[in-house]
Parts: sequence; C-alpha cells; structure tokens
Amino acid sequence: MAQRIFTLTIYLFRSLLYSLPGLLYILATLVLWRVLFDPTQGTPELSYYTLVIGLFGAGVTFLVTLSVAGRAYRAANYPLLARLPSRVEHLTAVLGASLLFAVLLQLLLALLALFRGPSLATVQALEIPPLWLAVDILAAVLALHASDLVTTGWSRVFLYSLLALFLFGRSLEGGPTSWAAQRAMAAAGWFLGHNLLGFSDLFMGIGRWLSSAGNSVVDQLFGLPFWPFEAMTDAIRSGAFTSAQALAPAILLLYAAVLFILAADLFASKDLFLTE
Amino acid sequence: MITLSNVTKRYYTLVAVDDINLTIPRGEVLGVLGPNGAGKTTLFRLIAGFLNPDRGEITPQNGVWPTLGYKPEQLLFPARMRVRPYLEMVANLANIPRAQVRERVSESLARVRLEGAAQKNIGDCSKGMRQRLALAQALLGRPSLLLLDEPTNGLDPEGQDDICRVIEELRADGQTVVLSSHQLHEVTRVCTELVILKQGRVHFRSSMEAALTLRPHVVIRSDSDLSDVSAILTSLHPQITVYDNQVSLEDEAIQLRRHVLSVLVGAGHDVVGVEQKRATLEEIYAEAVQWHNVSSR
Repeated sequence: MAQRIFTLTIYLFRSLLYSLPGLLYILATLVLWRVLFDPTQGTPELSYYTLVIGLFGAGVTFLVTLSVAGRAYRAANYPLLARLPSRVEHLTAVLGASLLFAVLLQLLLALLALFRGPSLATVQALEIPPLWLAVDILAAVLALHASDLVTTGWSRVFLYSLLALFLFGRSLEGGPTSWAAQRAMAAAGWFLGHNLLGFSDLFMGIGRWLSSAGNSVVDQLFGLPFWPFEAMTDAIRSGAFTSAQALAPAILLLYAAVLFILAADLFASKDLFLTE
Repeated sequence: MITLSNVTKRYYTLVAVDDINLTIPRGEVLGVLGPNGAGKTTLFRLIAGFLNPDRGEITPQNGVWPTLGYKPEQLLFPARMRVRPYLEMVANLANIPRAQVRERVSESLARVRLEGAAQKNIGDCSKGMRQRLALAQALLGRPSLLLLDEPTNGLDPEGQDDICRVIEELRADGQTVVLSSHQLHEVTRVCTELVILKQGRVHFRSSMEAALTLRPHVVIRSDSDLSDVSAILTSLHPQITVYDNQVSLEDEAIQLRRHVLSVLVGAGHDVVGVEQKRATLEEIYAEAVQWHNVSSR
C-alpha cells in the first residue's frame, strides 16, 4: 500500500510541477515574497512572519489541492485506479502530493523571508512548522471537499454552507443569540405597527427568551470551531503558548482527520466519471 | 471469477445496463459485442468498480476480488511522460517488486512489440503505439482479470494481428480476459465465450464453440434458375428457402436434402454444389442486435 501511495504521490506531484499552474504557483510565491517581505524595508516581527506565512500556506495549500485533485480526476488515471485495492489510496496520494507541493512553496517563502527577516532561535524555529502544517492539512482536506474528485451530489454545498453559517454566526455582533433576539424584537415592533397583536406578542416573547438566554450554548457552539485559529493567533502574538493554546494545532488535525474520513467515504462510494 | 446479478445502471433517465446477469468464467476470454451505446463500456466500468450498480450486485465468486488490468477505450495517458517511466509507474502500482520492475516492463514492451518506443514521449506516439502501450500497461503484473475495451480500435491489420496474437497467448496461459470489439473476426479468433449486448441487455450468451455451430444449414446450388420448382420445394418444409439458383435447408429441413435433390434432378436442373454451412458470427450478431431469435445453449 505504501509503495502504491508513494508512487501516485510522486506522479501527481510531478504532474503539477511540470505544468503551467505549477510554474505560476512558484512565480506567485516569489511575487508574494517581494510584496509581503520586501527586503528593502525593515525587519518584520516574528509574529508577522509566522502569521503571514501561515496564512499563505493555508491559501496556497487550498489552491494546490484543487489543482492536484483536478489532475487526479482525469480519465488518463482509469488504468491506475484499476490497480488500487482501495480508492482511498488515490485520495491519500492527492493529499500527499498537494501537501508536499504546498509545503515546499511555503518553505521557499519562509526561507526567502528570512533574508533580512526576523532572527529565529532554534526553539522558535521548531515551534513554527507544526502550526503551519496543522493549518495546511486542514486547508488541503477542505479543498478536497470543494473538488470534483470528492464531491458527491450536494456534499460540497452542504459542507461549505455549514462553514458559512458558522462564519456568519461568529461575525454577528454580540453573537447569534443576541442577533436573533434583536431581529425578533424588530419583527414584534413591525407586527405591532400593523395591529397584528398576536404575532407581536409571540415575537416579543421569543425576543425576550433569546435575550435572557444571554451567552448561551448556541453562541459558544458558533464560536467553538474557530477557537483553534484564535488560540494560535493569540499565542503567536503574545509570543508564548498556554497549555490550552498548545492544543490548538491538535484540534485542527482532529478536524482534518474527521473531514478526511468523510472525504474518503464520499470518494470511495461515488461513481467515477473522470474528465477526458 | 465474477458474477453480476441483476445489475442495472442508469444515467439519469437513460438505462445503460439493464438487469444483466452474467458470470465471467475463470480462464476464459469473454467477448462483449454490441452496437455503440449498447452498454459495453458501462459494463466494463461496473466490473472495474468505477461505477456502482443502481440495482443488483457484482460479487467475486470466491469472495476475493481479482487484481485488475484495465485498458480503457480512450487512449488517454498522463501528459509529458515517456513510455518506460509510465510503465514503471504502473508496475509499482501492480506491486511488482522494485528489483523486477525494469525486467517486467521490458517483457511487457516486448510482448506488444513496443521496445523501440520505450524512451519516446507518450504524446509523440502514434495511435497504434498508444493502443499497444495501453495493452502493455494492462498486462503488467499479470492481473487475474484483464478488461480490454476495444483493444484493436484504430490499429492497422498488422497491429490487430499482433494484439490478437497476444490475447491468444493469454488464453493459452489460462488468463481471464473480458474484451469488447467491433471487429467480429477478431472476436471469433480469440474469444472462447460470447455476449451480445443491445440497449443494455444481454441479447445473446454462448460459448464461442456453441455459437459457431448454431443454425446448421445446407445450400444446394444449381446451374439454372429454380423458380419453376420453388413452390414445390418450399411446400416440403417451412425451413426450405429458394433464391435464384440456390436452395437453403435449415435445421430439420436438412433431413429432406435427398428429396430436394431428387426434385431438382427430376425437373432437369443440374446440381453444381452442395455445401453444409454454419451461422457466422456476423449473422449471429446481426440477428441478435436486430432482436431476432437466435437459439443459444
């Protein structure tokens, strides 16, 4: 199994490397280095270095994974897929090739940014890669769900709608419960203005109930998925991790593992109509 | 080796494979015939596991899925790869030990007579070379089941002969092969079992040997037009037909050949030939796809 996954990983990696998109990714990395870490300007702070390259890693991993997944979904791969006892080996190779390519780009940017960049102590240099890698892996798995390779029916719409819902809930001022309470109160006022007292009372009741619920479980639920990102960002800014914050990369890997299992299940059971 | 039980596959409203029951016997070369759109490629993709049946099931007979070598109909290969590295990659996927990869790839290239193109870029290969390459990759690792979707499509007669020779060798080695083709003479030459599909359904299923002994008939040829005795001859048996200077006797009517001969001689016709014939694959195919009745074993 390891030999097959390794063979496919190298094949997909080379297929992207020797293509126009592969060249464009490398050029884009160089351009971003020039823009984000202009060597003619002052030395960037370590937190800036870590966060910006981490963000770049997540973005580039997402895009690279989409590119690799597109290549893995070509009809030329039918004979290769026929050789595999499990389709999950193919998916694992896609993930492996994407991460390899993206991490190399991230490493390129990280090394270039060290030119007139922040000086890194060995401990700091060892702290950073696990953070970047956890985010990269999650970005890669999310990209798999966005690709034709994995998506089945409306699966990507459901997943990204859920993600959008969480993002929307989190972005609301005062949390989703407070937002819903305000909307209920506004609706109650509108019904009152139209002499629909029954509805007005109903919405007033809902608004009061939601207001009294305060920082409810719902609010916490909406914030929970994003806690690892906040924890990591806070820790990088402050320059040290608390014991709780140190768990954040592991939580991200847990998300990635769950999403990868879901992706493997979708890919293993879907009809393959590889593109010609 | 593999059994398909009541397998149906739909693409939205189109039924591509319709309630197929089929067993792929071990060590046989099964030819799948049918007009375009009959469901051959869908059947291959179902067997290869790329598609899931909407109804029915595909099961291995001894509980273990066979290893597969698949040659798709379309000759698509990874871009910017050379022939040998491509085959080495397939060899690695076929679990061939690393130490044997080069040797096995060379064997495979030699088998399809592609040694000269080993270092050629696949993109620069002719259609014939790509067809051979597709077969070479399918053969690597000696998979227990070979699925060859139109293996000779686009090849010149020499190339077709080469591919048939390879399949004959595989048959002699006891390899299980499922192949589709529109070249009926090839199917007659290499296949031991035959399935004819039409509109997703199996319209004919037989061993090749049995298929080629179907519908025996005798043709009696005279040197002159037989319209004067046509009515007499056709009244003898419904399976006697008269056309120009020929009389054809099918199945049970063959037993009346002596009587037919005596009628012809009595009427003053000279008999110039009597031939015993069997149905050709072309005839069987034509009747099957036109949904005529063809008896099978």
